Amino acid sequence: MWKSVVTAIAFLAMGGSAFAASAVNKDAQTRTLIVTEGGGKTELALAAGETVEFCPNGCFVTLPNGDLEALTGSETVEISGGVARIK
Amino acid sequence: MIFRLLRLILVAMVAVAAQPSLDAMAQAIGHGSAQLIADQTKVIQDLTAKADGLEKKIGDPGEDDAGLVDIRLQLEDISRAALNSALAFRSRLNDINNRIEVLGPAPAQGQQEPAIVANERAALTAEKAEINAVVASAQNLSIRISGLVDKIATMRSELFRSVLTKRYELTDALSPQGFSDAHDQFTGLYKAVASWLTFALKFKFQAILAATLMALALAAVLLIGGRRLFGRIFEPNPSVEDPSYLSRLSVAFWSTLLPTAALVVFFASAVFFFNYYNVLRGDIGTFLNALLAVVAMVFCVNRLTNAALEPRLPNWRLIPVATGPARWLVRLATAMAVVLGFNYFLSVVNEKMGSPLSLTIARSFVATIIVGVILILMGSLRPFRAEDGSRRPWPAWLRFVAIGLGLSTIAAALLGYIGLALFVSVQVVVTGTTLVTAYIGFLSARAIGEEGGFADTSVGRWLSVNSSYEDTALDQLGLVVSIAINLMIVLVFLPLILLMWGFQPGDIEAWAYKLATGVTIGSVTISVLGILTGIVVFAIGYFLTRWFQGWLDGSVMARGKVDTGVRNSIRLAVGYAGVALAGLVGISAAGIDLSNLALVAGALSLGIGFGLQNVVSNFVSGLILLAERPFKVGDWIVAGDVSGTVRKISVRATEIETFQRQSVILPNSNLINNAVGNWTHRNKLGRVDIKVGVAYGSDVRRVHALLLDIARGHPMVLKNPEPFALFANFGAAALEFEIRVFVADVMNGSIVQNDIRFAILDAFEDEHIEIPSTPRAVVETKKQESWPIDDDKIEVEFAERERLEAEAAVEQARLAKTKRRGRKPDPS
Repeated sequence: MWKSVVTAIAFLAMGGSAFAASAVNKDAQTRTLIVTEGGGKTELALAAGETVEFCPNGCFVTLPNGDLEALTGSETVEISGGVARIK
Repeated sequence: MIFRLLRLILVAMVAVAAQPSLDAMAQAIGHGSAQLIADQTKVIQDLTAKADGLEKKIGDPGEDDAGLVDIRLQLEDISRAALNSALAFRSRLNDINNRIEVLGPAPAQGQQEPAIVANERAALTAEKAEINAVVASAQNLSIRISGLVDKIATMRSELFRSVLTKRYELTDALSPQGFSDAHDQFTGLYKAVASWLTFALKFKFQAILAATLMALALAAVLLIGGRRLFGRIFEPNPSVEDPSYLSRLSVAFWSTLLPTAALVVFFASAVFFFNYYNVLRGDIGTFLNALLAVVAMVFCVNRLTNAALEPRLPNWRLIPVATGPARWLVRLATAMAVVLGFNYFLSVVNEKMGSPLSLTIARSFVATIIVGVILILMGSLRPFRAEDGSRRPWPAWLRFVAIGLGLSTIAAALLGYIGLALFVSVQVVVTGTTLVTAYIGFLSARAIGEEGGFADTSVGRWLSVNSSYEDTALDQLGLVVSIAINLMIVLVFLPLILLMWGFQPGDIEAWAYKLATGVTIGSVTISVLGILTGIVVFAIGYFLTRWFQGWLDGSVMARGKVDTGVRNSIRLAVGYAGVALAGLVGISAAGIDLSNLALVAGALSLGIGFGLQNVVSNFVSGLILLAERPFKVGDWIVAGDVSGTVRKISVRATEIETFQRQSVILPNSNLINNAVGNWTHRNKLGRVDIKVGVAYGSDVRRVHALLLDIARGHPMVLKNPEPFALFANFGAAALEFEIRVFVADVMNGSIVQNDIRFAILDAFEDEHIEIPSTPRAVVETKKQESWPIDDDKIEVEFAERERLEAEAAVEQARLAKTKRRGRKPDPS
């Protein structure tokens, strides 16, 4: 039975993070992402060190350097030094 | 078993959650960037063209509800495809950005850099701009599609409203022209069917025969298999005098579900095989589908009412109506289903044969009026038998609802609101049937969930014979089964009812998806799946903690001969830490952002600080107690007025049992802030003092020696520290001595005190040493007693006193005889 529990936890650990995209701001300043989701554009302001979950069903996001990227809703956007990277 | 199931669910969840667009990624690799841009531009152009086409289709006036839902689903697919095509650029964009970073920032004005670097930077920037332009077009497409989806939603609600509120002229429909139209229609239908029949019999007879037989075989497998599987609970047994409610329910439920399922399977497979053999031609397929659907519905309604009302077997009736009304109810319900089904079939025929509107109106008018009349008839039945033998009507609310619905249907039809009338009457039959079935299911779930309910079922009996489950386990299993049945009913019937109410499968699918992945309200996303995951994770964490606690305590620390107090502290600390950790992990797994909670906690901290001051202080004190361990479970402590043994140390309060066996719950802060005496802190060693006085003139040295002898002679008194006899005082009436002895277990102090006092008395008696007692002064009052007047009373009082003395003597003799040795007395 413990094997089952361990397996379940392992699966949860894998699956638990996949419910929404998340954005992490590792900079000391506030950074802004522009998220296009469901027909509307919203500005997502990330305070220093903040992590935000957004875009559960896929969206477009404009990164601080002006790049436009599509997200499926399972990625992590990491901003450091003003540059955003999608992982 | 449960965990295996859980694992399966989790695998499925993960499979759903982890669906990155692999094909888009694959496209990105291996193509040049220019090629990629061209490809995706093409893809997005195609998608835009598709969306254009669909937008035009939305504008068509003839589009009905199902068509609009279909368009919406296609639009959503396009939106997803646009997103996926934009995803294809990700790796290339990443490469470009990395490269630009390597090249470094553009030089300040006036400074030069090598031409090759400048060129590459320019090329990369240009490529990036191109990619961004393509992604932007995908984004625009997705925005546009969201707008279209919103537009479809408003259009659909308007369409629905217009169907319900549109008023038709009845005079046209019910004119002689209408009758001749109807005649034409029937002739047309007859011709179509007849020509198909001749064709089918001539050329496809064997195919029809084969298809029908195959479909029959399938249905028979289901029916016979079901009968074998569910056996007795399928058919009501007339010989059973008083069947239990549960068995009546299950018979009603299964005898509705199984034959209906068999019939549906038969029809579906028949249509499938007919299609397979190309038997159906032209409109006949549509007609046949409609006819079969109608027959299935009528059959289902008839089975259900028969099962619930059982006109032939009063014992098996679910609702205690009289036999006559039961028969009528079955007939009326079936008639209603037949009328509506026939109307539906005719509507399909009308649509296919392009008949005039007046015919549709006339048909719906007749059907709705009949349904309204049936509803009123049903409502005015007197189904229950009263005490005096007369018939009682339905409960008022049910009667009024039925008659009200019937009257409003008729009124709506007469006023020309045919759409509304038809909608109401169809809903009454279909939703009513579904609700009644679901309700019967709910009732049976409740009956199974009742105490002992599950053990009565055949599965329960089988389990109790073939497994080691006890009654309580079976009961809990019954509870689980009943919850599962409830859940299944909601999952099956809720979408069914929504479907009946005019929602489209696409809607329900989209809702289910939304519900599972999360509904966003403001900035908070609530998802059922997330919350369930959170609960599951917490439960797993909790059980893991308990198991770890037990293992640590029972295996590791018990073997390691760790002190009980330390064991207790560690066990508690591990338990609290584990539960807190499980809670935190569960909350994060549920998708609730802990930083949001922190914000709320910050805002409330002032209030909490004041309101929960005591609780928090006790909590912290509890943690300190666990760490510092001034006492452990089983210690004899004195805290203020409370003295007793510690029973349990928990995080808010400590339970102390006094020697009167009273449990005192002492808040931990009291134990931390105030002095606590612990008789058994390091060891149980304790001193017992016994005072005794001897008369002046006694031989005090002899007394001293005697006392020391007595103290030393007692087996419980420790040799080291040595017992000590103190010549304490020249008292007012006596020379006072005090024996001070140490005992190994202070809990035994009273026994030692008792023994020593008896020994002293005996020894002093032998040695003729007197223990003086201070006589109290007797103050004589001068007041004379009144002369007795009532001799009888005095005699009675005397006799009573004699009697009491005699009783006391008997009681003493009895006590001396039994001479029970009581339990060890408490130390104080």
